[in-house]
Formats: sequence, structure tokens, C-alpha cells
Amino acid sequence: MSKISRRTFTGIAAASVATLSMPSISLGALPRVVVIGGGAGGATAARYIAKDSKGGVHVTLVEASKRYYTCFFSNLYLGGFRNYGSIGHNYYGLAVNRGVNVVHEWAVSVDSAAKKVNLGSGNSISYDKLVISPGIDLKYDTINGYSAEAQTHMPHAWKSGTQVQLLRNQVMNMKQGGTFVMVPPPNPYRCPPGPYERVSMIAHQFKKSNPTAKIVVLDPKNKFSKQGLFMEGWQRHYPGMIEWIDADTHGGLKNINVSKMEFETDLDTFKADAACVVPGQKAGAIAMAAGVNNGDWCPIVPASMQSQADENIYVLGDASIAKSMPKSGFSANSQAKVAANHIRGALTGSKVFDARYSNTCWSLVATNDGIKVGASYAAGSEAIDVTSKFVSKTGEDSALRKATYEESIGWYEGITTDMFS
Amino acid sequence: MFFNFRMKIFLFVILFLTSFCKFVFAEEQKIIAMGDIEFGEYLGAECAACHHQAGISKGIPAINGMDAEVFVALMVAYRSKEMENPVMQMIAGRLDDEQIGSLALYFSKLDPPK
Repeated sequence: MSKISRRTFTGIAAASVATLSMPSISLGALPRVVVIGGGAGGATAARYIAKDSKGGVHVTLVEASKRYYTCFFSNLYLGGFRNYGSIGHNYYGLAVNRGVNVVHEWAVSVDSAAKKVNLGSGNSISYDKLVISPGIDLKYDTINGYSAEAQTHMPHAWKSGTQVQLLRNQVMNMKQGGTFVMVPPPNPYRCPPGPYERVSMIAHQFKKSNPTAKIVVLDPKNKFSKQGLFMEGWQRHYPGMIEWIDADTHGGLKNINVSKMEFETDLDTFKADAACVVPGQKAGAIAMAAGVNNGDWCPIVPASMQSQADENIYVLGDASIAKSMPKSGFSANSQAKVAANHIRGALTGSKVFDARYSNTCWSLVATNDGIKVGASYAAGSEAIDVTSKFVSKTGEDSALRKATYEESIGWYEGITTDMFS
Repeated sequence: MFFNFRMKIFLFVILFLTSFCKFVFAEEQKIIAMGDIEFGEYLGAECAACHHQAGISKGIPAINGMDAEVFVALMVAYRSKEMENPVMQMIAGRLDDEQIGSLALYFSKLDPPK
């Protein structure tokens, strides 16, 4: 009886394994790409490989979040220009329109010899080519007194999601006439103009709801992206509200006392009623687990975005060392297209075109006052090199600034469609 | 608006001309003849970062389904900085005739906005 049932069970088990493995047998003929990270780099790469190979490549996207909130435009939410739902996206389009296998899990390690990605659930996925686009992790210990626990009192809000909503709530509830302290991150970091757009947007909100509030910016740097443009805008729109203090002047942030909301510098100890503290950054943990990093970031081959450590792995976006290309969603989207073209060529023999990259970062300073900076890039032998660049000018008329803001809205709709549809 | 008055006049004139006298676009047609649609599809991915692929004009004009001659005329005008907008001047500035022709071919074949 027990023998029979065991044999029967074994037979059933064998049959069901055969049935379950049928799809993977048919898929076995297709080259397999796994993409880790569903942001501007990963979602774009998955979409372009699936779309352009027209079913010729099996693409799996591993992304823990079922709903993805963009970092770009999260400052506009802080300023009251967007509701939070409007910057949330899901992976329906990639799964349904493009046939991407979307797996909502964490990738915890990569076995590059066996070409397998191990998932948090204990399962694994095999690949022929792997794309790692994990964004950033935070180095809390770059600021004395700051920590993962402290982020609830002083949100970094540098990864979109709950932290950004928490920061908005703290801005809205800060006492009248209080002081908001902003600590921007040290270089290199995600979104170079981001901290200063954030200061602008919080100032915009204060002007409406807390007009006697002050913002103190304790910068670990002595200069920043689009500085002249932001400073001009702060003077024009928020006179007397924002005090930006450079590293040479305050002598460095020595310590943060989270419970007292105090920031100790050589110059003074600043007391905050609300704060945003953005620590130093590094490539997302999976890049380290895969061993494609050199220190905090991942060296890449400029012509393809392949890792310098492993030709079957590509690293996109913030995690990569793209040298002159800033860590931005636009950059990651641009790099993804180069990698997608290269991967498809390697797996299906499709034509591989020369790498070309571009980036534009729009920032909003106040209502209808948009500014932008951008550049185009080509692959040099050592690094991604700038081919041309531009930046908005101080003193531009209000019609041009309004057009620039409207352009940024068009870009948001364009790039999110280019990532998720 | 994205287009200033001068640009609108310019657009109107070229749209008018493309409708009635294709021969005026001998130069543009020469550039289109250099194009390769597969190359255009690759290059066009750069455009898709901003220009909405469903062809929606919201702050940034739709380019899907644009007449190839108009496309070439606009890109050449951005390349020579006759048309304003630093992003487009930068993008067009590094495109040679073959690349512009390829993009024109590719985008002219896409469905125009409904």
C-alpha cells in the first residue's frame, strides 16, 4: 500500500514536473535576459529588449515594488505642484504589452559563474545576459548622528516613496516661523540639482502656508549644480527665506543630535523644527553582491554599459561610473537604450549601433519658473565623454521659463511612457 | 507655448510648401534618401525620452507620423541654430545628414496622433 502510493505519488510528481517544465523547455530555445531594478534604467532596458526583439528574447524584470514612485518630480509633490498618485506607476504595460516576465521580489545575490540570480524567496532565475540597475543605497554613517532610525525624524526622502510623503507632512506641520534645515549630500550623488530644487519647492510651500519660516542649507560642498540660476531664483521668489551656507563657511557638519533636532558645525549649532538630511550614497546592494563594484560604484565599458568585471553583466544608471554623465533618471534611460541594443546584438545577431547618450535635467524654482541643464555624450575609450552641453541662463524672460516648465511636464509624460508602456 | 511666434510662422510656411510644392524640398529629399529606417529606430529611442510615443503634445510636440520633409527641415534648422531650444539644438547638433534622414524615415512611418 505504502509502496504503491509512493510509486503513484512519484509518478504524479514526475508528471507534474514535466508539465511545469514544458514552458521552460520551449523558453529554453530563447536567449534569456534578467533585469534587476524597475526604475528608469531597468524598466527601459526590459522594455526595449522585449519590444525590439519582438519575442526573440525572454526578458524577466526583478523589482520588489509593485508600484514605483519616480524620484524625479517628487520635489514637485513637496512643493504642492503634483499629487503623489500622479508620480506612481506600475508594471502592467511591461507585462501585458511587452511580454516581460515581472517578478516582484528582491534579488539577493548573483552567481556569475552559473549565470543565476538568487531571489529572496530562495528561487533563482538563469540568464544569458544580466542587467543590474539598482539605483542607490544610503551611507548613513557619512554623517555623525544620522542613521536608518533617524530617517523618520529627519527624512532623507532620496528614494521615492513613504519618505517623500513623510517629509511633505513634516513641512506642512512645521510650526509657524520655524527653521527648516536641509543637508544636501556630498558628491557623487543621485540627481545633482535635486537638493536645490527641493529647497526651492519647500520655500514655495512655506511662502503660502508658513511665510515667516526660514530654510538653512548646510552644504558639505562649496558649489552646486545650476547654482547661479537657483540663487537668482531664491532671491527673486523667496527673498530672505533661504540661507545657503557652504562647507568652507560652516567648517563641516560635526554631528547631528536627532532628539534635540540640532546640527553642530564649527560656525554654530543650528536648531531645526523640521529637517531633510541626505547622506552620502553608493550603488544598490545587489551590485556589491554581484561583485561588479569597485568601491562604492560600478565601472562600465563606455561603448556598451557592460560591467568591467563581467561581460555578461551590464550596469545602468546611478550605480554605474558614467563619469561626466550625472546620476539621473534621464541618464539611466539613455544608457538603457545603448545596453538594450548591445544585448540584443549579442543574443540575436541584430545590428549594433554606436553608443550615444544624452541627459537633460529640468528643475522648478517657483510657479512657471523652470530651468534646465543638459549634455550629449559619446563613448570614449576610457569614459563617457561630453560632446556638447547647455544650461539655462540667468535673467531669462518669464515666457521662456514657463515654456521650460511646460517642457518638463511633457518630458515626464514622455519618459514614463518610454519606461512603462 | 513650446513654439514661439517665429517658429509658428516657420512651421506654417514649411507645412504649406510641403503640401503644394514638393520640389522645393529637393535638399530635404536628398537627405531622406540617405536614411536607413532601422538606424532611425535606434536613433529615435533618444527622441522617445521626451516626445511622447502615443503622440501626445503636452509641453513637447508630437513627432510620430510627421512628414519626412518637414522633419528634415526642422532638424536642419535646429542644427544650424535657426530654430531656438537648447535641447533640440544639442540633439540635432550632433546628427549628420544620414542620421537626420534615418530619423525622418522612421518617424514618418509611425502612426500620427489621433
